[in-house]
Amino acid sequence: MKWREDGSKAWSILWGVLPVFLILGLILGGMTGVAWSDNSLCLGCHQDESLKKQDARGKSIPLFVAEAGFKNSVHGKLSCSDCHTRIKDDKHAEGGKAVDKKVNCATCHEEAEKEYLQGLHSKMIMKGIERAANCYDCHGKHNILPSKNPKSMTHVSNIEKTCDRCHSDVGFVKQHGLGEALPKDEFKKSVHGKTGEVTCTNCHGSHSQRSLIDPKSTIFRSNIPQTCGVCHPDITKQFVGSVHGVLAARGRADSPTCTTCHGFHGIKAKVDPDSPVNERRIALTTCPQCHAAERISKEYKITTTPVKSYYDSFHGLSYRGGDTLSAHCASCHGVHDILPSSDPKSMIHKDNLQKTCGTCHPGASENFAKGKMHAVVSITGEEFGEKAVGWVRVIYIILIVAVIGGLTFFNFTDWLRKTIDRRH
Amino acid sequence: MTKKYLRMTLNERMQHINLAVNFTLLVITGFALSYSTAFWVSPITDAPLGMTLRGFLHRLCGVATVFLGGYHILYCIFTERGRGIAKDMIPGLKDAKDLWETLKNNLFINRPAKLLKMPRFNFREKLEYLGLIWGTIVMTVTGFILWFKTEWLQFFPMWTWDVARAIHFYEAVLATLTIIVWHFYSVIFNPDTYPMSWAWITGNLTEHEMEEEHGLELEKIKAQSKGELKEFSEAVTAGGGRVYTIRRGKLEEEGEKGASIRRLYGIVRSFNETIKNWKGT
Repeated sequence: MKWREDGSKAWSILWGVLPVFLILGLILGGMTGVAWSDNSLCLGCHQDESLKKQDARGKSIPLFVAEAGFKNSVHGKLSCSDCHTRIKDDKHAEGGKAVDKKVNCATCHEEAEKEYLQGLHSKMIMKGIERAANCYDCHGKHNILPSKNPKSMTHVSNIEKTCDRCHSDVGFVKQHGLGEALPKDEFKKSVHGKTGEVTCTNCHGSHSQRSLIDPKSTIFRSNIPQTCGVCHPDITKQFVGSVHGVLAARGRADSPTCTTCHGFHGIKAKVDPDSPVNERRIALTTCPQCHAAERISKEYKITTTPVKSYYDSFHGLSYRGGDTLSAHCASCHGVHDILPSSDPKSMIHKDNLQKTCGTCHPGASENFAKGKMHAVVSITGEEFGEKAVGWVRVIYIILIVAVIGGLTFFNFTDWLRKTIDRRH
Repeated sequence: MTKKYLRMTLNERMQHINLAVNFTLLVITGFALSYSTAFWVSPITDAPLGMTLRGFLHRLCGVATVFLGGYHILYCIFTERGRGIAKDMIPGLKDAKDLWETLKNNLFINRPAKLLKMPRFNFREKLEYLGLIWGTIVMTVTGFILWFKTEWLQFFPMWTWDVARAIHFYEAVLATLTIIVWHFYSVIFNPDTYPMSWAWITGNLTEHEMEEEHGLELEKIKAQSKGELKEFSEAVTAGGGRVYTIRRGKLEEEGEKGASIRRLYGIVRSFNETIKNWKGT
């Protein structure tokens, strides 16, 4: 996948072009007569911790550069001027030109810059949002370390911290309308967060991370199965063939993708009772969130009756009481590979139903598969069974009202008479 | 000391307690499924495997009730007292008249109220007893259909199972409400018996209770004792003290070789004897 390319390629390019720039730096240094290749000249001033300047808005900017940090960084062998090509400033008048050119990482890291320019952070910068991440926000400035180094800001164990500096900052999240959600809290507790191997960039991409509404984004609705499929290929394969997967791929916003059922930052293991796909929740919240929703059922010509009738069935009643052995939605319909009953491969296709029931009811006869499954009891029902049960209900309710009403009436008169008799 | 009239032998009281416990457990464990989200079910649903154990207990109590019913049938066939009960339970025209007159008394249509003399089992008790038999049969049949679903569906279509399920539920509602409305009125809330009729524990009714509810029976007993009223001890039945009389000697002769139904009778009888002779610990 194109967006999955991480920085490693960019680094190799860096190593390729680095010597060229070193030589170039030496030549340039020689031409101007100042030893630019030797950073001692710069550090002579910039090692002063109190060195500051004021920017156009009057904000104080520290100009201190820690020599040790720089020397140990991946760029430790570069000269200051390799990155700080032009500095317009009275003090640097000698080397300065009319243009104030900011440090441009793209000089070397072309590929990364290209990806970055397509990403959301660069677009936000272009819109003038100050706190959108620049290269140095994530990679650091003078102390950049290769991402394989455990101390690096972009090492897999630190990426979360790096992103969280802004994205779990309540003020930042509020100011930028990111919906109050702090991914940090959720992700820490998630099954992915606990592994320590999966981090923000695995799903969001790194340089090219895009907005949720960008169709090229890894987290765009219809791309989510592919994003998850990088690590869970078998499940994605099942899902894309399912009734949900097909609709999701076609852009149906109501059709679930992975995150609809599993959650996103806070994905938990199935066995975790807090997981939305915990077997105790499947038939209470997970499936009914759509299949008991009038809005969706009307639109897709499905009904909410399966959920209602399930709740009234033995399976549903026992399940709601906490029976873990009782069948829930997924027991019969499948999980990622749910197919409509018209599909011969479906677990609930009429030819497979006997086998599906037989999983729990060994020796299930073909009568198990006959008749309406999610029957709704009503004397006006479509099916004979529905009507029969409907009539049983009507007759019994009349019987109960008549008998119990009669008995109550009789006893009441009896009590009344005896009470009145006792008055004397 | 007030005179006591034996109403239930120890055996019958045991049957009654057995039924009461099983019935209560069946009601609780049954409606715990139908209303599994109700607040009072939470002790069951919160317990680990609560719902599974609930189902197990429900079936266990169901089986126990069926066995109790079977025992009761044997009791009614093979003991004289049982046969007497069965005979006296047969409803007749008098019961309908009693009911009608009671209603008229209650509504003050009969002024002054007519004094009703009712037999050993009055219409209230007959109604309840016959209702209990009917309910037990219905619940047993539908219960076994629900339990042995796979076997049932070998021969019958799915809708029959659904019907059985509906009947099992509504019959349960009917039975429970009947017990609460009818039985509990008779033995608890009836102003004549309130706070409770003690017959289910002591086995006896007082003379006043006999007069109120079983006037005819009282007359009969008094006539039988020919004016010499004695204290009715527990072992002496209202019928005259002969409880277990059928071919006692003959059965002992035949011993184990006898027909299986006789042997069964022997078991029932010896159980009865044991209970009868039981003097407490």
